[in-house]
Amino acid sequence: MSYYFTILSPTDVPLFNIAFGTSKSGGDGIARFRFPDTAQYMNQFIIHSSLDIVEEAQWMNGNLYLKHVDTYPPASAYISAFLAPSGARFLLLHQPPQLPSTATGSGSSSLLGAGFSASALGGGSSSRASSSSIAANPTSPQTEEAVRQFMNEVYEVYVKTVMSPFYRQGMEIKSPVFRTRVTAAGRKWL
Amino acid sequence: MTSPGDAAPVRPPPSFSPGVPRVASKTRYPNQRRDSSPALDSDLVESRIASSPPQPPLSATAAELPIRSASPYARSVRSSTPQLTRSSLGSPTDGRFDGPDDIRSLIIRSFSPVVGVYASVDTDELVRQKGFQGGFWELIRPFGENVPGKIVVRDSVGASRGWEDFGVRFVDLGGHPETSESQNSLSQLEAALEKQLESPDNPLGGVLRPKDFLSFPTTSPLYKSFLRQLLSVETPTPHETFRHPVASVIVISSRNTSPLETLRRLYADTSSGDRRQPEWVHPEYLRYYVLVHDEDRDDITESTKLYDQMKRHFGLHCHLLRLRSNQCVVTDDDSCQIPESEWLSPSERLSGRSEPLVDLDTDGLPYLFESDVTAIKAFVRELVAQSVIPYMENRVTVWNDQVASRRRGISGRFMSMSRRWAGFGSGSRSSLIGSGGGISGNFDLNHGYYKPDVPEAVLRKMADFAFMLRDWKLSASTYELLRSDYANDKAWKYHAGVHEMCAVSMLLNPLAMPGKTKIDDINQMVETACYSYMTRCSDAPNALRSLTLAMELLKSRGGSGIESAAKWAMRAMDLGLVGSIGQALFSERISACYASRNPIHGVKWGSRHRKAGMWSVLAADLWLRLGNPSLASAALEEAERLYADIMDSNGLFPMPDMQTFVDNLRHSVRMSYFEARGLDIGEDTAPADPLETLETEETSEKLNKRNHRKSLINNPVETGGFNIGQEDDNPANDDFERA
Repeated sequence: MSYYFTILSPTDVPLFNIAFGTSKSGGDGIARFRFPDTAQYMNQFIIHSSLDIVEEAQWMNGNLYLKHVDTYPPASAYISAFLAPSGARFLLLHQPPQLPSTATGSGSSSLLGAGFSASALGGGSSSRASSSSIAANPTSPQTEEAVRQFMNEVYEVYVKTVMSPFYRQGMEIKSPVFRTRVTAAGRKWL
Repeated sequence: MTSPGDAAPVRPPPSFSPGVPRVASKTRYPNQRRDSSPALDSDLVESRIASSPPQPPLSATAAELPIRSASPYARSVRSSTPQLTRSSLGSPTDGRFDGPDDIRSLIIRSFSPVVGVYASVDTDELVRQKGFQGGFWELIRPFGENVPGKIVVRDSVGASRGWEDFGVRFVDLGGHPETSESQNSLSQLEAALEKQLESPDNPLGGVLRPKDFLSFPTTSPLYKSFLRQLLSVETPTPHETFRHPVASVIVISSRNTSPLETLRRLYADTSSGDRRQPEWVHPEYLRYYVLVHDEDRDDITESTKLYDQMKRHFGLHCHLLRLRSNQCVVTDDDSCQIPESEWLSPSERLSGRSEPLVDLDTDGLPYLFESDVTAIKAFVRELVAQSVIPYMENRVTVWNDQVASRRRGISGRFMSMSRRWAGFGSGSRSSLIGSGGGISGNFDLNHGYYKPDVPEAVLRKMADFAFMLRDWKLSASTYELLRSDYANDKAWKYHAGVHEMCAVSMLLNPLAMPGKTKIDDINQMVETACYSYMTRCSDAPNALRSLTLAMELLKSRGGSGIESAAKWAMRAMDLGLVGSIGQALFSERISACYASRNPIHGVKWGSRHRKAGMWSVLAADLWLRLGNPSLASAALEEAERLYADIMDSNGLFPMPDMQTFVDNLRHSVRMSYFEARGLDIGEDTAPADPLETLETEETSEKLNKRNHRKSLINNPVETGGFNIGQEDDNPANDDFERA
């Protein structure tokens, strides 16, 4: 499972980005997305496009944690969202590792698919296909719960960070402490 | 004008006044009336006639319509309910959907009845003299695709509706359909697209999408051609009967020395001889006899005599077609070019006429005398309106009474259920063995088809007939009946086909509500169809067809269907059903799907512009990789339009990675575009220090650039690209814009 976590300001400006991999069941915590290295922009495209759904979902229920809101099927990327009261949005893209067997089977003739599956093949073989319960099914209740825990913890850290007197609203979060805390939360829950 | 719907149900008796002035005022401006209400139901027109028979202009319009024997009064009462609903459907959107160019109409027209053509040797010779190497079939083929005038079809409840765009497809009965190599036809499709993209004489307008006045992008012609070819696979298959002949035209000419014997022989050929259809085709179909009279060489009195004889022998399904046998050339006074056939299968397109580049006028399409064209059109209209349609209606009614109603009723359900349970003893054992044999035992496992006269096959044929007659309600319910039958018999291809068509007819039926549950049902059916086609039958073309149909129709449904539409398109790409050109086309299509979702009224959210924009950018990337910068730049422009209200005031994406990617993409699109145009870009690309030039140019460009292009100027790399446009000056730049 690979994760890409973003905090977006109310005007969609990214305040914080981090990519990390799972640390459960022998994962080494390094993100291996299905896109080739030259196509890492896809993460941002997918996150950005899911804002359409987030905007809709935020008016449809009263919770801060919106659960799984959107999916990008070609790369099986799942987006979970969390709203901060200030209007900032926490978006987590999670992508289960592609099993090598399906990678070879899925349409290798296709242009997009070829790129995806080729990269996933490399990623999958090196990370020994971590198969925790979270990784296996990105929409399962366990995953939702784990993501919720992660989001809550990050939210707590986020509040502490933005209350710093040197932080103005809308500024990019550069604090190394914040980054390590988020990484720790990711290691703990995801 | 009151809408037709509210007028009809409470139609006053003829003596009652309110109805009359309305009609009278209409007839004063007969042309205007007909123009202003083109979608007027024909039965409504008839009901007006009934209320005021002596109005001459109206009876003139009625003369065009084949009036059925049923009394107009009774009919209009019976059909009052459908009329109401239909007119309530006549909202502005409906008008848009019914446009001849629209995808929905394209899909409907692609499922038109097939009429076989079998001509005698002397007829083909006569036609060859006129310059048609393919014989009589080739001569009339383009004219069947759009029958002139309105065709009135009556559905199972007796309501009639006129269709402007009805057509039939003529196929050559003699032509031996090559066995369908499934994978092959997809690669052929791709190759045909490639050919179309590359063809040099293709005016760029043929590939690029025209923008209509509201700047809503219409469907790109290339995609339409893709869809058309996908839907015009001509080889008949056992599992659906759309490509089985509904009728066949048997043709002789006036040159024939023994006409009646020839006709008999031709008939015998089609029913038992070498022109016999495969065994899974229902052997009973309509035969239509045509006598071609040679205007230039033969005597019309002789031909009339012969024609009368034919009518005596073969009944009413006869026609005398008067053609000239001389070849027509462009320079003749009344020459007119025959239209190109719209439904060419990929293989035909590939092997199609190589363009004679020398004389640009001809296009390789032969010419005909105008009198011939009129004669053929009249023949086709008579064939369709007076023979094919009534025949199909009749078959549907008969089968509906004899086969379907037995299944529909309580006892029918009971029967099929008891059959299923009764099968426990013997059936379960045989299915354990794996031979299956089905519970009904009608399915021939060895050959993989149903015999044409078993109920399952007849029902399928009836549903297909109803579908082709555009009675989607009946067809949907019949397909639904069949779904479990085919699953029990493990007739997987039939099973897939029936799920696909059930979903399609539910989507086409304008009366069914697009409720959430309905959409879920439909999605489920498409899923099943796709799975059965792909996994159980490995029939990729049909899987692609079902996914594409589902996508297009869900898209035209709008609302919550759009998400599913995009999902099916992605599925098609994921399964690798489309080639590289198809990938780009489908990306554009997904973008169009998302773009058609509008924000909820009054609030800002609810649209899918970000998603649409993303897919447009991806499409641009794919086009660029395919080496087609003009299409790429069209897709990019589309993306810019979609992103317009999302980008911040500087026209920048909030996300840095996206920004760089889009900038790079723009740059390379521009580069390869200029390369393709042969412009020299070496001289002033990449100024020595981009940052230096940036400041100065930024301000100057901001003034004269179009609004949504302003994001171009912020990247130093871009400035290099832009210099070309500026210094080569506007002509080049304009070209780029247009492309």
